Amino acid sequence: MNHRLEMDLMRLLHGELPETRARELRARMEGDVALAAAYRRLEAAWRGLDLPPAAPPTLGFAGRVMAEVRESARDPLAGSLGWTLAPAWARAAAAAALVAGLAAGVGLGGVWSGGGLEATDLQSTSSEEAELAEVTEGSLADSYWATLEETEEPGVPEPAASEVQP
Amino acid sequence: MSDLPAAAADPGREILARVAAGDAEAFAGLVELYQHRLLRLCERLLGDPEEARDAAQEVFLKAFRKAGEFRPQGQVYTWLYRIATNHCLNLLRRRRLVRFTRLGEPDEEDAAPALDPPDEAPDPETALAARRRWQATRRAIERLPANQRAVLVLVRFEGLSYRQTAEVLGVTEGAVESRLFRAMRRLEAAAQEGGVSQVSPGERTR
Repeated sequence: MNHRLEMDLMRLLHGELPETRARELRARMEGDVALAAAYRRLEAAWRGLDLPPAAPPTLGFAGRVMAEVRESARDPLAGSLGWTLAPAWARAAAAAALVAGLAAGVGLGGVWSGGGLEATDLQSTSSEEAELAEVTEGSLADSYWATLEETEEPGVPEPAASEVQP
Repeated sequence: MSDLPAAAADPGREILARVAAGDAEAFAGLVELYQHRLLRLCERLLGDPEEARDAAQEVFLKAFRKAGEFRPQGQVYTWLYRIATNHCLNLLRRRRLVRFTRLGEPDEEDAAPALDPPDEAPDPETALAARRRWQATRRAIERLPANQRAVLVLVRFEGLSYRQTAEVLGVTEGAVESRLFRAMRRLEAAAQEGGVSQVSPGERTR
């Protein structure tokens, strides 16, 4: 079966096929056992998907949301999402500071390696990328990098770099 | 089919306009309108009711802070679903191991209240069959890459059309079809391995 036909079977199943093409396909299935069987397998896999009804909102959910909303209205950078909703320039500046700090730490580790200080784990890594990766395993650095991805929502425009969040 | 309001009748637009104008308390109306749907979406993407509640709470807070960015000609549900889907997918990507199924002995899973079928289930056999379908579905969905999981949840369980799904995800309809097709191929393979293989009674037509 060619790919176009397989896609059409899926579209037919989901009600996304134009009616003319849908009629053609149904008519063809009446005379094509293999095609009809393929459609039935697809349908079985699709309709067999089943999940329990979603749990209703717990008592107090709306209240907790509004409590955070009110706090946010008072202080936009407060709460667990403070960093995630900071302006992009602020997050980028924080990330750059983190990299600079790491680089300084590596440099210092190199300077002191011949002295009395013990070699650090950072000093033993082979590259700055590896060191950065090691740090990003931690929750603090992870949040810096993750927030950049987290707020890049397609279709929802990011604030301009010069725009300051209220 | 989707139970989302038509564009012209969507009260969420007015609420977002008021919030953008500084009326934070008005946001309670949006929470009331969409809390059930967003919780359901988050739960189906994340697979855990508790995480879904936390995620939905964060989604609403994001929506509040971004109320001024909502374009009035757009659909509120699209905008909210987009924030929710992206938030959940980012959570999934950041986790090394996706906890979508409750791992453990069958007895433990049977005892988990979240897996109990609704009270309409007439007898224990039906309830058990339903529970097994849910577990098989969760396992199958867990194996999907995040982008395929998103389209599957949006089309199969939220009842969105390809076009609506494309709007939520910010991709083309072709991308939705392609991802859904790949997801379906995986699901078929899983069904043939003895997972999800039967049509459940009272199934939605979509």
